[in-house]
Amino acid sequence: MISRQILSRPIVGRSLLLRSGLTCRPVLGNSCRLLHSFRVLKQKENDNDKGEIVFKSKKPLSRIPIGGSFEKQSNSANGDRKPIVNTASGTIEFSTWKAALLFIVVGSGLYFIFEKEKKRLEVEREAEANRGYGKPVVGGPFSLINCSTGDRFNEENLNDNWSIIYFGFTHCPDICPDELDKLGVWLNSLKTKFNIKLQPIFITCDPARDTPEVMENYLKDFHPDIVGLTGSYDEIKNTCKQYRVYFSTPPNLKPGQDYLVDHSVFFYLMDPEGQFVQVLGMSNDEVTGVDKIKELIDGYVPSSEREKRKGKWYSFLFE
Amino acid sequence: MGLLNWFSGNGDDDAPVANRQQREQCWESRDLFFKCLDNVDIIDANDKKNKDIIKKNCNIEESNFEKDCAKSWISYFKDKRISDYKKLKFKEEMDKIGAQPINLSPQEFSGMKK
Repeated sequence: MISRQILSRPIVGRSLLLRSGLTCRPVLGNSCRLLHSFRVLKQKENDNDKGEIVFKSKKPLSRIPIGGSFEKQSNSANGDRKPIVNTASGTIEFSTWKAALLFIVVGSGLYFIFEKEKKRLEVEREAEANRGYGKPVVGGPFSLINCSTGDRFNEENLNDNWSIIYFGFTHCPDICPDELDKLGVWLNSLKTKFNIKLQPIFITCDPARDTPEVMENYLKDFHPDIVGLTGSYDEIKNTCKQYRVYFSTPPNLKPGQDYLVDHSVFFYLMDPEGQFVQVLGMSNDEVTGVDKIKELIDGYVPSSEREKRKGKWYSFLFE
Repeated sequence: MGLLNWFSGNGDDDAPVANRQQREQCWESRDLFFKCLDNVDIIDANDKKNKDIIKKNCNIEESNFEKDCAKSWISYFKDKRISDYKKLKFKEEMDKIGAQPINLSPQEFSGMKK
């Protein structure tokens, strides 16, 4: 019925078809129109809507302040309503542009704050997850020798400073030197850009060959802050176990034989309480690594603070 | 043997640790040698049937590479060349069938769990 009605007015149909950007070959013309009849109908409805809106917009915009009210004028013949304005307390007139401006300023300000907080909480949650429940997943007690001073270096030396630990060996052909160079870039960028000082630690996986002297000599080529740690085979093995570092020396080695050590290549970021935060791998380059470390440091909350929060009514926010 | 004979240990001497300059020298010789191998289409430098071709075309590059790098490094780099090539071939194959790479770095991975 409807489609026929529209079809009976070919001019309207054609103009709408043209508007919809479709061209029909004469043979298919009829079916095309039928297909589009629904759209035509919609269009008509919209036109009607538009007409109504135009009618409405003829009314003046409301100037009733917040808190104002209507009162029916009994003497008005057409039932016109007039607002009562509370003149005693001064009108709360608002101008649209000021309100819009206030809305934008406050809105974008809040948006910015919430986004920043959201990001920070995410990092915090991730750190919390990495800490595990009760016992830390990565890290733990160890005792090694500081190659430059000859003193013992254990997990307590990680306290009061952010530390970054790397496991490697001095005979490493290509990955370790590249990674240590990268570490040097990170340390410098963190210092100059954000005034963050990390305690960089290099632990050898090859204690048989990496004596304190060899380590000191090797680390001279890299950032001066890097602390080299070595120890007996068992001490190193224990440390690697604590940090879940895999390493393997080839079996049946003859003394003095040249060999390579297979090991996992990760940087371990440790917080000032000596707790593991996050690993950084080869996917973090000179620039992204710096940003990642900064982000992790910003998201850090001391354990005492975390404990305090648990009892608070808003503790669910941090879960 | 020249300046850098510290590496040419016969297996009985403790090979000293390479310093930055020596490392870079080794990498440079390696790159030159591998570039030469590229030119003659050789991937596996350990393969015996390639030996004559290498001797003929890359003799100088090979001896420089062996002079500038420690023994363990030489075999490591030669093996790495093979695995790098395989990795590249695999990637090309995967790209051809339109496979999507998944980032499995620790940060990304922990993000995926959420």
